[in-house]
Amino acid sequence: MVTRRTFLQSGFATLISSPAAAQNASSKKLKAIASISIIGDLVHNVGGERVEVTALVGPNGDAHVYSPSPGDARKLAAAAVVFINGLGLEGWMTRLVAASGAKAPIVAVSKGIAPRRMEDEDKSGRTAIDPHAWQSVANAKIYVTNIRDGLAGMDPSGKAIYATIATAYLAELDRLEREVRAAIARIPPDRRKIITTHDAFGYFGDAYGMTFIAPEGAATEAEPSAKDVATIIAQIKKQKIPAVFMENVTDPRMMQEIAKESGARIGGTLYSDALSAADGPAATYIDMMRHNIGEFTKALIG
Amino acid sequence: MLYAVLFAPFIEFEFMRRALVGIFALALGAPPVGVFLMLRRMSLIGDAMAHAILPGAAIGFLVAGLSLFAMAGGGLAAGFLIAVGAGLIARATPLKEDASLAAFFLISLALGVTLVSVKGNNVDLLHFLFGSVLAIDDLALMLIAGIATVSLIVLALIWRPLVLECVDAGFLRSVSRSGGPAHIAFLALVVMNLVGGFQALGTLLAVGIMMLPAITARFWARDITTMIGVAVGCATISGYVGLLISFHADLPSGPAIILAAGTLYALSVVFGPVGGLIWLAMPRRHLEA
Amino acid sequence: MNAAELRFHNLTLGYERHPAVHHLDGAAEKGSLLAVVGPNGAGKSTLFKGVVGSLKPLAGSIERNGVDARDIAYLPQIAEIDRSFPISVYDMVAMGLWNRKGVFGSIGGKDQHAIEAAIAAVGLTGFEQRAIGTLSGGQMQRMLFARLLLQDTRMIVLDEPFTAIDAKTSADLLDLVRRWHREKRTVLAALHDIDLVKANFPQTLLLAREPVAWGPTKDVLSADNLAKARRMCEAFDESAEACVAAA
Repeated sequence: MVTRRTFLQSGFATLISSPAAAQNASSKKLKAIASISIIGDLVHNVGGERVEVTALVGPNGDAHVYSPSPGDARKLAAAAVVFINGLGLEGWMTRLVAASGAKAPIVAVSKGIAPRRMEDEDKSGRTAIDPHAWQSVANAKIYVTNIRDGLAGMDPSGKAIYATIATAYLAELDRLEREVRAAIARIPPDRRKIITTHDAFGYFGDAYGMTFIAPEGAATEAEPSAKDVATIIAQIKKQKIPAVFMENVTDPRMMQEIAKESGARIGGTLYSDALSAADGPAATYIDMMRHNIGEFTKALIG
Repeated sequence: MLYAVLFAPFIEFEFMRRALVGIFALALGAPPVGVFLMLRRMSLIGDAMAHAILPGAAIGFLVAGLSLFAMAGGGLAAGFLIAVGAGLIARATPLKEDASLAAFFLISLALGVTLVSVKGNNVDLLHFLFGSVLAIDDLALMLIAGIATVSLIVLALIWRPLVLECVDAGFLRSVSRSGGPAHIAFLALVVMNLVGGFQALGTLLAVGIMMLPAITARFWARDITTMIGVAVGCATISGYVGLLISFHADLPSGPAIILAAGTLYALSVVFGPVGGLIWLAMPRRHLEA
Repeated sequence: MNAAELRFHNLTLGYERHPAVHHLDGAAEKGSLLAVVGPNGAGKSTLFKGVVGSLKPLAGSIERNGVDARDIAYLPQIAEIDRSFPISVYDMVAMGLWNRKGVFGSIGGKDQHAIEAAIAAVGLTGFEQRAIGTLSGGQMQRMLFARLLLQDTRMIVLDEPFTAIDAKTSADLLDLVRRWHREKRTVLAALHDIDLVKANFPQTLLLAREPVAWGPTKDVLSADNLAKARRMCEAFDESAEACVAAA
């Protein structure tokens, strides 16, 4: 017989358990994996509170030589969706996916961009597709739309939310693009060239009119020869390059020497392939672009 | 044509000139010290010292972060402590110099590795501390030039007790108490040349230019003054030739210089007037008296 | 009567508490020519190390009357000389001028003459520029004697100077010893050759860890004394007790 007490008890129970139920529902975030920290940041900015994203290649990591760990395989297996760059960046991804037995769909966020080619790493004269498409903000916007669609595909109930957040973020990216163009415009046209060992700025250069030159000679190696040093000094002088960004020269004094003799300015640290640590100057994609353009202007403007 | 090969690189590029001056300064101060090290059978001290200064550099790093000044200062202090400590123990106990030094440097190295790992950082401290001949800034240049000057002056001052200590320490003890201080001063010179050399030019060059020309000179001289002169000469030539090879043949500079010195050594082993192998193969007719 | 230049008071010298010289009393007068004789292990070298000050007594004392350690020239038994060191005979002999020149004193013309004279006195003229590594045993000993000559000290202590040396060199160097005696320097020499001692040394100390006899040579080197010395035990006794006479 259902008594008043039973009603009260079950009512009470429902009252108590409903916050928990509500919490449970909202703690069921969509688990996403991003291959690199930059994409991870973009996913975070599109997915908001609904998505829990982890990047496999973390801040300051190198996606080209990344070697995945068993922990990565576990994360993959638990993920609902995987976002990769594509364009040949993550050579290790196919094997990892196979090994982890992950069933999540893989979304290549670079779908739809116009790829450029770059000289192959071994300098054999062959060219390969340049995977660093995010360096152009326009491409980043395409990434964002792909991510939005990918998330909506996996989580249809959040489709509207994703669309709203993405639109707001795209607007921020527009503002970023205007900033970048304005900054470049402040640099005298004949000074829009730098030497850097990063080979990741191809899309940036094409989009915004800057020239990125690889250093000649192997002065970045641990044991350069006198010829290497002479070559790069001659290169800087001959091509009148105003600034040199070469953080992986192990000896800062070597850098100073090259700068002094060639007349070039030494630039600061650039972030091209990965974000910095959370307390660093390039913790998000937008921060990263702002930081880089800040370094360029600092080194190149008069 | 000869001009282009021999002189143009130095005329055209400032970094080549600085490298040359740096190497010449090292070639002046280090080989004399190296000659004495060789004669005292301490030729391997350079390598030991390169590792032994680690705890000093580690402490400098822990105190002041990646500051070249703190780490080099720490390294120098560690080097002095080890060299002088080993020297004093060798004098006061039955231990000989090499054993005493080995004990010190092994303990020191282990201490250094422990200190570095305690901080949880695997920054390659020593790599950061060591310089390169192609990257000599003004500070490094002044450092080596200063060390060369001090070395020559101190050597001149302690010449007599140092020589006598090497050849007949018992006699020196019987006529003078200067043996101990001279010995310590000499060890200080060794540490200064090595650590300063590491910092300015890297380990390979610092140790190589100190020892290899001295060892080569053994085949050219019968008295110590000539030996030192030959050693300085070899070091200077090796520096010049090595830099040119690095420039024209696109080879790493430190190793090129040491290989040039090594070639001189190999030639001397065979053709040197004092004990060269070729005289064993082709003995000349003996003299009248 | 000459004043005693060197006096031993109940002297015990040794290594790690084992006595090599046990309870020695006696005196050597200024200008005396004293031979110290005894079998192997008798403590002769140990005694000389005590005399020149490189070994501290385990008990007792050594009194040097007005003779500073710098005033004693010492020729050890096995000179730890690095023969491979590139130094010439001339430079080696020149080191004998140390007590007058010190670390920085320059060698002038007069000094050069003195060096050459010393080299000539030992019969090594012509060897000045030879590296010491090329010398024979006898030549090395001559060179060391030349250095002693140059040191020009009041007391000279020689530890087995003629062992393993050819007869001609011994004779030549003995002439030098006699010359020192004529110059009223005090000379102590540890020797094995009894006949040589009897022929050249007026005073002898017969030592067999404990003193057997000390005085005029012909009295000391009697058959009885020599036999007594030979009976002495050479090795240290690891199970020995603390010496009761030590005081």
